[in-house]
Amino acid sequence: MNAALEVGRFGSGKTVRRIEDPALVAGKGQFTDDLNRAGQTHLVFVRTMHAHARIVSVDAAAARALPGVLAVYTGADLAAAGVKALASPVPFPRPDGKPGASAARHALALERVRYVGEAVAAVVAESREAAVDGAEAVVVEYEELPAVVDAVSAMAPGAPVLCEAAPDNIASEMRHGDAQATEAAFARAANRVALTINNQRLAPSAIEPRVVLAEVDAPSGRLVVTLSSQMPTAVRDGLAAALPGLTKEQVRVRVGDVGGGFGMKTGLYPEDVVVAHAARSLNRPVKWCAQRLEEFSASVHGRDALSHAELALDANGKVLALRVRTLANVGAYASTTAVIIPLLIGPWVATSIYDIRTISFRLSAVMTNCTPVGAYRGAGRPEAIYIIERLMDAAAREMKLDPAELRRRNLIRPAQMPYTNPMAQVYDCGEFEKILDQGLALADWKGFEARRAASKAKGKLRGRGLASFLEWTGGNVLTENVTVNVLPEGIIELTSATQAMGQGIATSYAQLAVDVFGVAIDKIRIVQGDTDRATGFGSAGSRSIFTGGGAVQVASEKTVEHAKQLAGEALEAAATDIEYRNGRFQVVGTDLGIDLFELAAKQATARITVDGSATAGGPSWPNACHVCEVEVDPDTGEVEVVAYASVNDIGRVISPAIVRGQIEGGAVQGIGQALCEKVVYDPDRGQLLSASLMDYALPHADGFRAFKTVFDTSVPCRTNVLGVKGVGELGTIGATPAVVNAVVDALAEAGLGRRAEQVQMPLTAPTLWRALRGEFDEVQLA
Amino acid sequence: MTRLTLHVNGQAVAQDIAPTTLLIELLRSTLGLAGTHGGCDTAQCGACTVLMDELPVKSCSLLALQAQGRRITTVEGLASGDQAHALQEAFMACHGLQCGFCTPGMLMAACGLLKRVPQPTEAEIVDALEGNLCRCTGYVNIVMAVQQAAQTLAATGSKA
Repeated sequence: MNAALEVGRFGSGKTVRRIEDPALVAGKGQFTDDLNRAGQTHLVFVRTMHAHARIVSVDAAAARALPGVLAVYTGADLAAAGVKALASPVPFPRPDGKPGASAARHALALERVRYVGEAVAAVVAESREAAVDGAEAVVVEYEELPAVVDAVSAMAPGAPVLCEAAPDNIASEMRHGDAQATEAAFARAANRVALTINNQRLAPSAIEPRVVLAEVDAPSGRLVVTLSSQMPTAVRDGLAAALPGLTKEQVRVRVGDVGGGFGMKTGLYPEDVVVAHAARSLNRPVKWCAQRLEEFSASVHGRDALSHAELALDANGKVLALRVRTLANVGAYASTTAVIIPLLIGPWVATSIYDIRTISFRLSAVMTNCTPVGAYRGAGRPEAIYIIERLMDAAAREMKLDPAELRRRNLIRPAQMPYTNPMAQVYDCGEFEKILDQGLALADWKGFEARRAASKAKGKLRGRGLASFLEWTGGNVLTENVTVNVLPEGIIELTSATQAMGQGIATSYAQLAVDVFGVAIDKIRIVQGDTDRATGFGSAGSRSIFTGGGAVQVASEKTVEHAKQLAGEALEAAATDIEYRNGRFQVVGTDLGIDLFELAAKQATARITVDGSATAGGPSWPNACHVCEVEVDPDTGEVEVVAYASVNDIGRVISPAIVRGQIEGGAVQGIGQALCEKVVYDPDRGQLLSASLMDYALPHADGFRAFKTVFDTSVPCRTNVLGVKGVGELGTIGATPAVVNAVVDALAEAGLGRRAEQVQMPLTAPTLWRALRGEFDEVQLA
Repeated sequence: MTRLTLHVNGQAVAQDIAPTTLLIELLRSTLGLAGTHGGCDTAQCGACTVLMDELPVKSCSLLALQAQGRRITTVEGLASGDQAHALQEAFMACHGLQCGFCTPGMLMAACGLLKRVPQPTEAEIVDALEGNLCRCTGYVNIVMAVQQAAQTLAATGSKA
């Protein structure tokens, strides 16, 4: 074995076959629903069909009498058993200065239901069929209450109230920036543009539905919960907090393969608590598998923010100020996550790559009778970047400037790094003009008019859209630990609390370990998803590679250094005389040496164990230039993406194929928001109308796939040991504004001019057909 | 209970089942073939796709009894012993999967296509995968993988 050769084949920067893949393509993955336990029981939820109602009574007697039914739990039963509401404090005060407010979210609804699909009771039975029958036999009497499903209506006087502590339904409100300075900037501005922008509600839609399997470990009495989650430790801690008489140490959370996360599998769900409680009270394994209907109605939704956004510019197009008023519809219960996404995380990137010093934001988190909102790929950054990129195009159109030129006049220059934006966020590095120029060249920006003419010749309206932007990654938890175990059977095992969910993180970690150990990649085993092995924040906010990956490198290097000492003892030589290469320690200038794994076997513990930790100095700021071209059919309103070029600065690239897959797969999700996806509620009674994959339009295989994707690795991140920047959300964030800007461009050029900017996502054929005829849905904040 | 006899991955199966048993339930629960995944219960996501004789079908929406006397192939039956199928190889080589949950259904839908049309056009591939949803890859590398598998099969004179 030659170390240089192994690093050359499998190390960072090389495209390798993912170590996850052989099992997955053989159908031998270990998704939660693939696990079954002896004596396993099945849980089915009774969910309300009302958007808002008082629970008059729950009669479970008939259900309990059915054959095979073992137990029925109601909200009252759980409360009587000491199960607490989910703890998720609302982080910022209300506009009246009182603390942020939300109704308590119980694992099973108590007294009131606040959205269609909220769980009211749970039936556990010997078989799933018996549990379904049991659920149908539970009789819930409701007194229906008026419902409200949009933020504007929810804030109107006389609207139904979700939580008595918030009579205006505002859970929380934040103001950022300097309202007076902004007002002054607008007063003196040569140019002003304003847009009303709806960032519609989305269903994250991982293809694997949520599954929870809970059991009590027989000898220890510990609760063991296996589920599909991005944050096993948060689930462990949440369960210990919610369930009576349970410490964190008495809970073990395990995660197998995760069939897509996208943010919606972060943190504790009410169902997790109910399934765990049932397993403890019955002392039997209990499994719950969500149906797709439950995924649509009871897994978190994403986005749903309505904004009025204004930009003030001087005569040369330099932005003087940005003002944004946003109403974020956080759904029936305002969680910490749901509130910080629109009120804090989005604002951190609101000025993006532009040197904008003056801002004024007023942002309200508003409760409605919709499914609670949570994290969804990008979580605040897509909404913020969509706003500034739409405004940039609007300003360019107003000033009759090339949209790229207007952006160029406002870019933060490399010499300004490190740059502190008006939200006090510090960008460590970024060469935005270099990325912009490459993006424009890759997209043949200058050749567009000829393509527009060619499209016109065949009766199509061609448009071009640009998004040049950055995003924040990190979850602001910047430390990760990795434990290395060198095992005598020839395996180097690295354990991390970050969590795989399809992003290929095990392969990327293994490549980083190969860099240090110089062994073949099949000698590396990555262990995740077990709170008994590692605890930490988990994977969200594109943080895994720059925090966990850094820890992999540090822990691996520490292991080699430690093992060198052990090798010195074994070889009776000074450690300074020993060099490590090829998975082998050698006394320099001699043929005396010992194999790493042989050395592990010699230890009293029959292994070499080393803990390593890395702390990044700050978040990472990946950035990119995405350019999209579309063709709109003026007769039908149908739109087709016909070109998509992107240049992406994610710092150093560890796994080229994986990061390309993240950008392009992410871009298709962003295109989905732009063109087809939308959660729809009936405005009168709050029924969820888009509750199946027939009604909620996900991108299919017939969508755009011919991406031109380039990575510029010349600007490594300065705040982590690897020089990497997060990549998981960049494609999604860029695609939505790039596509919408392209469609607006096509409509504007078709004669609508700036009126085209009124169009709202998703840009379906009927929406564009009407827009071309001057008809737009009226969207107003007040 | 009703007697069901069929072949699954080349093995004869005879089983007494409730007439209401879905094909996916027979595969996953009774036969322990967990590679076939249920994603939507309503035949839209395609994660449960298997071959019935040589035709891709959605096992979440077929009664097991509808497979009476038929040959069912699941993802577990795709490889020949230790030799991965050209499609499995191509999905790995092209990074045609991320989370892997939709992958078994994608593989079986693609296999059904290549059995009917050994050298499909891109449009034919896209059409054949229309009933299979992937939320991770954007389909870019999936379509590429099917193209590569078709080329490999042609080059080696093999059938899907």
